[in-house]
Amino acid sequence: MPLIKKKSKVSDEIPTSSMADIAFLLLIFFLVTTIFDRDQGLQVVLPEREDAEVDVPPDNLLFLLVQPNGSIVVRRGESPQTQTITHRQVQGVVRQALQANPEVIAAVQTHPEARYEDMTNVLDGIQLAGARRFVLQQLQE
Amino acid sequence: MAIEHGGFKRKSKIANEIPTSSMADIAFLLLIFFMITTVFRKEQQRPVEFPDAEAMQTVDERRSNIMNIWVEPDGQVFINDQLTPPGQVTPIARQAYIDTDRRLVVSIRGDRDVPYNVINQITEELRDAGALRVNFYTDLEQRVTRARR
Repeated sequence: MPLIKKKSKVSDEIPTSSMADIAFLLLIFFLVTTIFDRDQGLQVVLPEREDAEVDVPPDNLLFLLVQPNGSIVVRRGESPQTQTITHRQVQGVVRQALQANPEVIAAVQTHPEARYEDMTNVLDGIQLAGARRFVLQQLQE
Repeated sequence: MAIEHGGFKRKSKIANEIPTSSMADIAFLLLIFFMITTVFRKEQQRPVEFPDAEAMQTVDERRSNIMNIWVEPDGQVFINDQLTPPGQVTPIARQAYIDTDRRLVVSIRGDRDVPYNVINQITEELRDAGALRVNFYTDLEQRVTRARR
């Protein structure tokens, strides 16, 4: 055994004073990087069951018939004329119809075999066009 | 320099600083308290690809008042991790509607490729239950995904 005591100036303890700071930095890092799953989407209020059928003048109806292949057939009121468009044109068509007649109601009638996304695309276009009144229905054959 | 305080030095033994050494401990205690009291919604994530939309909004309702209905690509409907056959949505939605004091928002988390009749079935059953506030869950449409489609 050596008689001379070792006089090291290096502390033999782990510095603990900054541990809290390190822990807080980690905490803040995880707080910032966490993405919460927010509930977002297209909001709709369904019609009540007891609602009496409201008679809407056919001129105020804009039918958007969503086909199984994703195309949309537009029919205005009772006019026999139809027009086939893609979902990107929905916004323009609805906006035009609203300018011509602010009372217009967009009636989305979706084919049972059509994809869900085709319906949400049309709904998206309607909401982007600023239409407040619309109906969601299943296309009857 | 002039003599301060009339020549008498204040000899107070009370430190005039707020003790900061225990602040971290207090903060950690608070943190642990909130961690323990937070209740997370334990719901399994499902393999669902949501449709995209531009006009989407965030649901302005408390989390406990939102009920999720998951619709998988094969048309299977799940509520609270339970496979729900058609016709069984109404009683669950009605109970949730009562439990949330009529403030229920139903968030339909459907896959983009699911046939529409599945969704229509759900909305009709929700109408039967009186739960009329519905949210069609969508992702924000990005220009890149739009070009890809």
